[in-house]
Amino acid sequence: MIRVESLVKTYPSRKGKPPIKAVDDISFSVAAGELLGLLGPNGAGKTTTVKMLCGLIRPNSGQIVIDGKDLTQRRIPALSKVSAVLEGNRNIYWRLTARENLEFFAALKGLNPAHVRGDIDHYLELFNLTEKANVEARKLSRGMQQKLAIAVALISQSRVVLLDEPTLGLDVQASYEIRQLLKEIVHDQGRTVILTTHDMNVVQDTCQRVIIVNEGRIVADDSVHDLLDLFRVRVYKITIQGVLTPCQRASLLDMEQVIIKEESPERTSISVRLEESQVLYGVIGILGSNNSLIESIDQEQNNFERVFLEIVEGGTQGA
Amino acid sequence: MPKKLLLIQAFFKKEFIIYRRYLLNSLGGMITLYVVFLLLLGGFQGLRTLTGVEGDTVEGLVVGYVLWFFMLSTYQDVSYALRNEAKEGTLEQLYMSVHGIGWVMGAKVVAAFFINLMLVAVLLMAALVTTGVTVNVDLFSLFPLVVGTLLGSVGIGFAIGGITLVLKRIDSYTQMVQFLLIALVAAPAGRVMWMRFLPCSYGSNLIAQVMVGGQHITQLGLGNVTAMLFIGIGHLGLGYGVYKLCERKAMVQGTLGHY
Repeated sequence: MIRVESLVKTYPSRKGKPPIKAVDDISFSVAAGELLGLLGPNGAGKTTTVKMLCGLIRPNSGQIVIDGKDLTQRRIPALSKVSAVLEGNRNIYWRLTARENLEFFAALKGLNPAHVRGDIDHYLELFNLTEKANVEARKLSRGMQQKLAIAVALISQSRVVLLDEPTLGLDVQASYEIRQLLKEIVHDQGRTVILTTHDMNVVQDTCQRVIIVNEGRIVADDSVHDLLDLFRVRVYKITIQGVLTPCQRASLLDMEQVIIKEESPERTSISVRLEESQVLYGVIGILGSNNSLIESIDQEQNNFERVFLEIVEGGTQGA
Repeated sequence: MPKKLLLIQAFFKKEFIIYRRYLLNSLGGMITLYVVFLLLLGGFQGLRTLTGVEGDTVEGLVVGYVLWFFMLSTYQDVSYALRNEAKEGTLEQLYMSVHGIGWVMGAKVVAAFFINLMLVAVLLMAALVTTGVTVNVDLFSLFPLVVGTLLGSVGIGFAIGGITLVLKRIDSYTQMVQFLLIALVAAPAGRVMWMRFLPCSYGSNLIAQVMVGGQHITQLGLGNVTAMLFIGIGHLGLGYGVYKLCERKAMVQGTLGHY
């Protein structure tokens, strides 16, 4: 559905500042019906990449092909397949109601609002906005505005939906609702979705595949599952009754793989990253030296946040 | 219905909804326009410089003012709209329309023109009834001349809008354009040949010939009317060209939707 080849973007120097290479020779493709996460630290080049996919930023070189149409050669036919939410809740007209926004943006995408009235009702219902259909967007909560912006992107019936930070600034409930909706969009409607986010819960929960960019380059491109596997480390949480003795504490802190996580008069938790079994024997030995009573030993869950940090901070090449 | 008409209809509906929803604000503008019409119909000469139309007939004053009003509003419908859409975060959505930004802005101008036309017609009618004055205006001759004249102000709107996309926050300079428009309407394009090539000047001169000289459009000469239309189209094309150049620069700088 989308093919990006050797894309380069350098922002020219402005006000005496040197040019900035935001995107440095990146290539990737996205299949129809895929939900791809585009991740990276601030300034990594995510938003620039998404805006180039929307035809809003002109690349220095490289090619973007959307559904077989070259974006630089055939801008409008290529963009007819794409809709985007780039500024979160600012992508809608605040003085229009939810329904009026959907009708206006349908016409902007070449659809007759009268013919998509059923779709408008469907999206209002899907996004839990039916009761707010006739409320001005400025009077909606931020979460509702964000949902409306996504609904507006979907009403165009475009096959590709680009979302820049769709859950930014939302509370837990609204973020959860949007994650569920994204899964439905891909699963039920077969749309291709690319999203950028800093929220690793969104990635782990929704994305099938992720591309991690750092300093304008792709440093990992793999499925979420494989990346979790690749960086799987066994981390154990050992909980003991009472506190550590100063001698135990000093010995444990000497070990790189050990972190003392919680300490109270009742119990102490120690996190042990297990790269070789010797480490665990060492920790058990230290705890045993004062007959500390072990309450539990649990394996900690691996999460995508740890994977992301390992890749970005370690500069590791993905699979 | 053709897609371009749907687009005009969508903008018409949007503008109309906002007009109605913020009625108090809209009423302020309507009252101002109504009072201006009352003054003009009462023969108030204070606005004569503004109208730019030669002669001191009531008709000349009214038509001159309406022409300036439309020139200013079409200019603002393009340049201010581009700025406001960038400010509100919706410009990028307009850019991703299947119609292309030129058609989108064109549809917005046409929709706003018809809303303003209705507004002017209703308020002028109300002012005529209030004052008991009657005016004799050859609408058949005036309409194509006004439309041709406005092409120039749309061109200026595109050019200024484009410059705003690149330079941002130049409001104090863009406000000066309304004074430039007065000068363009008042330019003696009938006497000074080169002034015919200024935006809007030739059109306003031909309008003056209809209003003051009492001529019908057919008496103006096909060559003159055609030349005026071509000059208008030229200014529109030139303004749009400036806009596209600026847009290209903003896309290279990555500042298209910023304000």
